[in-house]
Amino acid sequence: MNQVERGACELHEMDELAARQSPIHSLCPLAKLLTTIAYLVTVLSFRKYDLSGVTVMLLYPVLLFQLSGIPVRTCFHKLRFVLPLVMAVGLFNPFFDRQPMLTLGALTLSGGVISMLTLMLKGVFCLMTAFLLMATTSIDALCAALRRLRLSGMPVTLLLLTYRYVGIMAEEAAAMTDAYHLRAPGQRGIRFSAWGSFLGQLLLRSMDRGSELYSGMQLRGFRGEFHYAAMKPWRWSDTVYLTVCVALFLVFRLFHLAQLLGSLLVR
Amino acid sequence: MIEFQNISFAYEKERPVLSNLSFCIREGENVGLIGANGAGKSTVMKVLLGLLKAEGRILVDGTEVTKGSLTEIRRKLGFVLQNSDNQMFMPTVYEDMIFAPLNYGLSRTEAEERVDKALEKLGLQELKHRHNHKISGGEKRMAAIATVLAMEPEVILMDEPTSALDPYNRRIVINTIRSLPQTKIITSHDLDMILDTCDRVILLSGGELAADGPADAILRDRALLEAHRMELPLCLGGARRQG
Amino acid sequence: MHMADALLAPAVAATMYVCSGTAAGISAHKLRKEENPQKLPTMAVTAALVFAGQMINYTIPGTGSSGHLCGGMLLSALLGPQAGFLSMIVILTIQCLFFADGGLLALGANVWNMAFYGCFVGYYLIWRPILRSGLFACAEEKTGQRARVILASILGSVVSLQLGAFSVVLETGLSGITELPFGAFVLLMQPIHLAIGLIEGLITAAVLVFVYESRPELLQDVDASDSGVSAKRSLRATLVILAVVAAVVGGGLSLAASSNPDGLEWALFGNTEAGYSENMGLDEETFGLSSSASETAGAIQEVTSVLPDYAFPDSESPAGTTVSGLVGSAMVAGVALLICAAGGFFRKRRANSAQEQ
Repeated sequence: MNQVERGACELHEMDELAARQSPIHSLCPLAKLLTTIAYLVTVLSFRKYDLSGVTVMLLYPVLLFQLSGIPVRTCFHKLRFVLPLVMAVGLFNPFFDRQPMLTLGALTLSGGVISMLTLMLKGVFCLMTAFLLMATTSIDALCAALRRLRLSGMPVTLLLLTYRYVGIMAEEAAAMTDAYHLRAPGQRGIRFSAWGSFLGQLLLRSMDRGSELYSGMQLRGFRGEFHYAAMKPWRWSDTVYLTVCVALFLVFRLFHLAQLLGSLLVR
Repeated sequence: MIEFQNISFAYEKERPVLSNLSFCIREGENVGLIGANGAGKSTVMKVLLGLLKAEGRILVDGTEVTKGSLTEIRRKLGFVLQNSDNQMFMPTVYEDMIFAPLNYGLSRTEAEERVDKALEKLGLQELKHRHNHKISGGEKRMAAIATVLAMEPEVILMDEPTSALDPYNRRIVINTIRSLPQTKIITSHDLDMILDTCDRVILLSGGELAADGPADAILRDRALLEAHRMELPLCLGGARRQG
Repeated sequence: MHMADALLAPAVAATMYVCSGTAAGISAHKLRKEENPQKLPTMAVTAALVFAGQMINYTIPGTGSSGHLCGGMLLSALLGPQAGFLSMIVILTIQCLFFADGGLLALGANVWNMAFYGCFVGYYLIWRPILRSGLFACAEEKTGQRARVILASILGSVVSLQLGAFSVVLETGLSGITELPFGAFVLLMQPIHLAIGLIEGLITAAVLVFVYESRPELLQDVDASDSGVSAKRSLRATLVILAVVAAVVGGGLSLAASSNPDGLEWALFGNTEAGYSENMGLDEETFGLSSSASETAGAIQEVTSVLPDYAFPDSESPAGTTVSGLVGSAMVAGVALLICAAGGFFRKRRANSAQEQ
């Protein structure tokens, strides 16, 4: 399986995860979207040395994983390429910020190490939550939610249509890549002389396909607006979910919960 | 020549595409690989070409298909894709045909010779300098076969070689296939074409081997074909439904 | 160049959302006024294609490594800047949602860095002036046009990637996240993205030349008929382009330089590559000019980096990094494990009861 094919597969896997059933899956997408945004903002607003403050935010994704039945392993497996990049962000901090901040017996942690760890945790938490949103919500439902936020129809329609065609174009690109490599042994990529025609051929065909697609849409009475899959109505449970979550985030942010918990045990 | 030993493959664990498939193809045989949609025909091709990694062993001329032997094996196998557009990614027919020979280390003169030989064999000399996106569907299919012939493979694999062709071009392609001396493996739903071009048929069903034998016998076996969601070839009365 | 959520402070992320959102709104409005309904499916399919094209490896001649395509310049040359911009947004959104390339909150910033420059700056300041200019007018019509396509693609990609990379540095700096000094960060980012921009430009040029030769009508601003008239503008257009490039590179570098003198020294003079400042067309006088810009930047930085502190006053201790804080964190982890165990227990019980039925 080549790289392009794998990409298409990953999209497909997310669709399947989103089609499962669970209490989280059945929430209104708008509620999930708003909660996720609130979570991200809260996590990012922690100060850069507030390691123990950020750890408390772990509870939300963990709870969500359990309620939605999405395996944690799947999440980390899918994010295996992105995670190292996110983790690399703070790698420089220990070199520039050497002021000792915390002493644990013989171990002294500098400010740089603390801020690096905080940054890494922030990155991982944000990734997990965004993943959980998409693993429990289909793209159609999310687009419907965006429409409800009064986002202009055209970009949302474009998003749906593009998503629909990404699979098809990826399949064609994958077949072409296979065809290339079958006749070009030992080459890892597309070589320079074929750059233009490789993507160019595909491009010309896709432009033609675009106009074909348009006739197809027109023939079935398209007038510039899609009809979205019946939107899940906003119910009481959604209001409760959103308010409880946001309230919890605020509590986590405003009160130093880890500190309080810890002080129960240690002096 | 080609040997499949207990080949299994699955994209996702729960849904196997091929399960425990074993067969052997001898040199010079023309094998039709048939089966309903989703039976695993294309996967067999991809596994054989090393595009997908399956469980079990595949031998080509006694060499196992592994990552290390891919170059050697792919040199022996020429694959004609179902969609010729995907096969022809260079600007002109000529550049596309010379692409593989140059990659396999031939000098330009040798490669040119091969291109001319292949074009002549298929009678396509006038297509040589045409642009790939400006030739008709039938010409494109023939040109795609020519690009593979220019590699001078020992085995030719074809995925639906007659799909989307008019009767005239379909006949040209069938005659071309018949005139090629190499070992051939052809997947298709066009059973009449299989009957015309193959002497042996392998019937796949749900990723398993359902039947393997002479084309004549299998393609005449209405009960067997219908049990696996297929119909008799038209020339044997396939279109006339009972009752 | 995708930025992760963790790189941005909420205030910066929100600002970038507003910027990108405004540009998107204007683009959508303009496209709606154009009333070309056929454009939508074409945009979708082309965006899908560029998405697939991004996953292909392109072998860089002379090296063993491979490069990739980003596509902003390519899309705006094919669809026009507004449609190209919206298509890029869609691509970045799908990447963000399904491949976790760039975070949900960072999407606004990513759109700005990767789509805005390529589509608008690349198009209006580089693609259109060059293609309509009389550059290479002495050559044969077709050869000249091809040369213009190549030049515009490469220059456009390089400039927009430089701007994008610089914005990444700026946004991260304003967020006050990394300890890496501003100047050092710039020095890390810009040369890398010069290389990336070149590759991007070469791929874009290769594809566009192919399209030009096969179906020239698909390209924006390629119109063979008016080249005679515009030949006069040749010199002016060239000067404009050169000035834009110089201003962008010079302005960017000097902004970086003056806001962080140490970084500057390291960047321009302390570095062993003595020719660096000359190569960039910079002399010592130029970067004195932009001190006001850097002051503004500094002021913004102060505001934004202080914001989170004021918004959420902390309970005690400078950082909450005390031993009890850590013990508390460990307890949180314990609670998390407990939740997992409970979840597993309930699922198993449900599965069992389902089996019994």
